[in-house]
Amino acid sequence: MIHLSKEKTKLMVAVHGWSGILLGLLLYAVVLTGTAAVFAEEVGIWSAGHVRTTSAFARPLDSAIRDLAAHTPERFHEGVNLFEMGDHDLGVYFHRDEMAGGRPITRGVYYRIDAEGRLASAQRGTDEEIFGPSNDDALKTFLVDTHVRLHLPNPWGLLLTGILGLAMLVAAISGLLIHRHLLKDIFTLRRSANPVLVDRDRHSVAGTWSLPFAFVLAFTGSFFSFYGTVGVPIVAMAAFGGDVGALNETVYGNPGKADPRPAPVGNLDRIMADATRRAGGVPTFVGIEKFGRADAEITSYHQPAAGDLEPATLLYRGATGQFERVKPAIGTRASAGGSLVGIMAPMHFGNFAGLLSKAVWFALGFAMCYVSLTGFRLWLVRRRGEARSLDWLDRTVTTVAVGLPVALIASAVAFIIAMPEGTAVFWTPAAFVIASAAVIAGAALMRSPAAFERALWLAMAIGMLILPPLRLALGGPGWAAAIDAGQPIIPALDLAFLAAGGWLTWRTKPRRAVTSEPLATLMPAE
Amino acid sequence: MSGSQGRWARILLAGPGAVLVALVVMAGMTRWVPPGPAGIDNLVVPLVLVPLIWAALFFHACLDRSIARVAIVAFGLLALHGGLVAQAFLRPSMEQAR
Repeated sequence: MIHLSKEKTKLMVAVHGWSGILLGLLLYAVVLTGTAAVFAEEVGIWSAGHVRTTSAFARPLDSAIRDLAAHTPERFHEGVNLFEMGDHDLGVYFHRDEMAGGRPITRGVYYRIDAEGRLASAQRGTDEEIFGPSNDDALKTFLVDTHVRLHLPNPWGLLLTGILGLAMLVAAISGLLIHRHLLKDIFTLRRSANPVLVDRDRHSVAGTWSLPFAFVLAFTGSFFSFYGTVGVPIVAMAAFGGDVGALNETVYGNPGKADPRPAPVGNLDRIMADATRRAGGVPTFVGIEKFGRADAEITSYHQPAAGDLEPATLLYRGATGQFERVKPAIGTRASAGGSLVGIMAPMHFGNFAGLLSKAVWFALGFAMCYVSLTGFRLWLVRRRGEARSLDWLDRTVTTVAVGLPVALIASAVAFIIAMPEGTAVFWTPAAFVIASAAVIAGAALMRSPAAFERALWLAMAIGMLILPPLRLALGGPGWAAAIDAGQPIIPALDLAFLAAGGWLTWRTKPRRAVTSEPLATLMPAE
Repeated sequence: MSGSQGRWARILLAGPGAVLVALVVMAGMTRWVPPGPAGIDNLVVPLVLVPLIWAALFFHACLDRSIARVAIVAFGLLALHGGLVAQAFLRPSMEQAR
């Protein structure tokens, strides 16, 4: 426990409150969508009805890549990226690095190969032109983009979410500093006390338990937001005279003696099998540098092995397919800096121990949403009775706190309806905007705040309850078929929506009015 | 310094001042952090630490009773790391001139 003087504690309470109030609603939006995005992969599988379980890297891909290489201009053989798309389709991107307006970009040809090994699509252009949401992952992409950049253009969206991360860092640290009795506060829940004190206790307990998590999320989140937008250009300026390419080559490259002689690439199927065996799982991404040259190198990236926090990366010689070494995620040799950067992603996404760690991250993210919301309510209660009415802010908090999940559910409903028609890329965000407009109109038109909030909870409950039957009615895989195919996540998410929708319906049913007690006054440190 | 001036100085040092100093410290750290066995620690450690550097400067500006001490620490870090970056830029042109 850190003991601050009364004056400093008061200052920290003000910093804690204002850091939440000024950016709190946007922060709530980022944390809520981030909480849902913890299960982005699973939401993608559930919403699009993906039932394949065999990774694209576990199927033969060598001859398909050679065929594509033969039909791709040689200038795009500088790098080849392999990754999974949709229902375990294989994405193959032959490309070269270029500079456009002082920014590094890639330009090339992107192919998508379906699970039967047929060419599903081919597209030429820059990475920004090629890689956007597709019909079957529109919901997942929408969720992740809301979390990462609030749909603002680059770099402004990332800068805003980075600033929100710093605000969360301030709220977490000041929250720790203002606890006068940290251990006592963790366990204090006065259920029979005045409603304001009950809310204060709940805020304090949820906030204290999730404090380390809030710190980790805020720290890693602001790192990711500022890394490319501010950090890399400044470090490149200081260390390489502004040459971002040189910085990337030093940090991510595999330096070696250049050998531009032509040489066919080693057997990729054999390399994939070897990498899977060594890393204990299929690759998540494979990069081939200098395809078709004697100095080609192949890097396979994997999820962290069991009991490990840092993702595994393996390096192979391209021309022979011979295993070279285990490589750190960045840098050529293991180093403190490389390990530090390597653990940032698992710490932020909570994907280091499969569904278990994801469930913990989801629960703690949910606690953070609860802390933001109760923090707002406490701040407003403390100012009740002041000269200027803050009813508008109270209503805004309800509109965002409950309206945002309603709009997200609406976008999921729209995705389920539009995906079979091939129009999900348009309707998923459009439904979000329409639902948000309806919520805002309701906030402006409905007189009773209680009735407005109840209507929102009810809308959320109905949305959750109709999602599973709608998915099934529009041709989504049934529970038995999904379980048979090894995708139990589909019925699991259906059940989660039904349970949450049922609980919300029960919670929003009208109750007898409770006689209101006089509100207790909160002390500064409360 | 009057109470009002002191408060504004503190707000400036905790707000834009902390952002500016954190970014300059990040740039300057590339010059003195050891590169480590992979030769990248001086590049990536500052990138990782910048949110924490900003938070430390922010809370120092809020909590230190002496605003003069806050200013000395901030300007000291700014001058030291700004100087390291300037030296890196000046060295090639000085060598060229020679």
